[in-house]
Amino acid sequence: MVEKMPSALVIADLKKVYHAKGHAPLTAVNGVSLEVRAGECFGLLGPNGAGKSTIMKCATGFYDPTAGRVEIEGVNVHREPKRARQVLGVCSQDDTLDTDFTVFDQMVQFASFFGIRRIEAEHRSRELLERFGLSGKSDELVEALSGGMRRRLQVARALMNRPRLLVLDEPTTGLDPEARRTLWEILVEQRAGGLAILLSTHYMEEAERLCDRVAIIHQGKILACDSPEQLILSEMGSQLIEEEVRTGVRIQRPPHLEDVYLKLTGAPLSQLEARRSQ
Amino acid sequence: MSALVSIFTVWLRHFAVFRKNIVYGMITTFVEPLLYLFSFGFGLGSVIGTIQVGNDHLSYRAFVLAGLVGQAVLFTSFFDGAYGGFVRMYYQRIFQAISVTPITLSEVLWGELLWCASRGVLSAATVLLMGFLIGDFSAWGCVVALPVIFLVSFFFASVGMLVAASSQTIESISYPQYLAIFPMFLFCGVYFPLAQLPQWAQGIAAFLPLTALLSVVRFLLLGFEWEWWSLPILLFWFVLFVPWARSAMRKRMVN
Repeated sequence: MVEKMPSALVIADLKKVYHAKGHAPLTAVNGVSLEVRAGECFGLLGPNGAGKSTIMKCATGFYDPTAGRVEIEGVNVHREPKRARQVLGVCSQDDTLDTDFTVFDQMVQFASFFGIRRIEAEHRSRELLERFGLSGKSDELVEALSGGMRRRLQVARALMNRPRLLVLDEPTTGLDPEARRTLWEILVEQRAGGLAILLSTHYMEEAERLCDRVAIIHQGKILACDSPEQLILSEMGSQLIEEEVRTGVRIQRPPHLEDVYLKLTGAPLSQLEARRSQ
Repeated sequence: MSALVSIFTVWLRHFAVFRKNIVYGMITTFVEPLLYLFSFGFGLGSVIGTIQVGNDHLSYRAFVLAGLVGQAVLFTSFFDGAYGGFVRMYYQRIFQAISVTPITLSEVLWGELLWCASRGVLSAATVLLMGFLIGDFSAWGCVVALPVIFLVSFFFASVGMLVAASSQTIESISYPQYLAIFPMFLFCGVYFPLAQLPQWAQGIAAFLPLTALLSVVRFLLLGFEWEWWSLPILLFWFVLFVPWARSAMRKRMVN
């Protein structure tokens, strides 16, 4: 009998409510369920405050959920965090690089948190820094790196333990187009080896390029979930869309993922974010 | 990876940073107590000569040197826990980075406290070594004092962690520093016997952790009278603050 491999990530009925003194409870995530299979890239799309980062932090076990369950390769991340995180790589939205160390030492140091032996850690660090185009910066302190390099280093560090699930929270925010494409190439390469990716992003193009499936999140709920092509087809059809790109300049173009987002949420991302900030 | 190994791994991360900046680390560890020793021990000590504490007569230098053990524990553990902890938690986000590996946030916080306590012990050990070398402290007294010093370092580290967890900015750490830590340092008997204070102030000071530490340390190092209540007072503060600090930092991190 063939044993069925558990999914890389299962999130079931996840709910997260924040309680703060003097404020009404805030439901950041409200009954989200999703599954990421081995080798799949699953994208979370939504404006700031939609609940993407909270889902990510619950998925890594950093936040305890108010309700629901998160499993990484069949292991409950909140009950058995040590075992579950052995196969988890995380690149959070915040820069969490260790500024006390050089680029190389930082990688080796990070490996120690997974119990990886030093010789193996050094070998793996060289390999990753080479692949991420950072080997020339090995002896530099993190502070000496550009924003794009820091971001690449953070993703490289997340791959230190050869994870089978990689959680990337807005990994390309602030990167120039070239750096973004380099990172995309690396992620595609890693996926080919069976790595599952949970990716949150603001960039529709990124989601269309990288993700097998995307979930559009709004106010802590999944509004739609499917492959980008299927979402576009089912929500927008195949007809060309006419759009005024500049005053007096009208073009016709095929529909894309942002159109789906606008249709489902009823407002452009910029408007939603403006509403939230008011 | 067991919990103990995880905690030790966090400790090793901090030690690696300390080792990298070993010159800075050693200067801040050794120079400060040396300066105090020369200023108060040899300088002021030669003016004052011998003092009487209860039935004991001893040199002011020996008295103040034992006080400096407490000061080293207080300042090193608290400042590393508060300022160092705030930097690691808020600016470097190291707690966050480690807590998504097989090392849990709880273990990160134990490792943090253990490290700050280790710094406190190292600092105090420096003063103990000086006291032993100049003949003011007995060797066995220094050895026996170390576990107590470790316990109290752990407690002051947790005070630092609580302050870091409760501070919105690094500047706001100054409030507890000036309103609690410095007064404790000045009025708990580091530089003069508590009997010199007004009665009401003695009552307050007697309950403070630094007073209790100095009482135990002076008993072990200088043969002062044993004040049994010092240990329960230290345990009380320890049991109160360690869980409180960990819980506050946890809340800060995950909310």
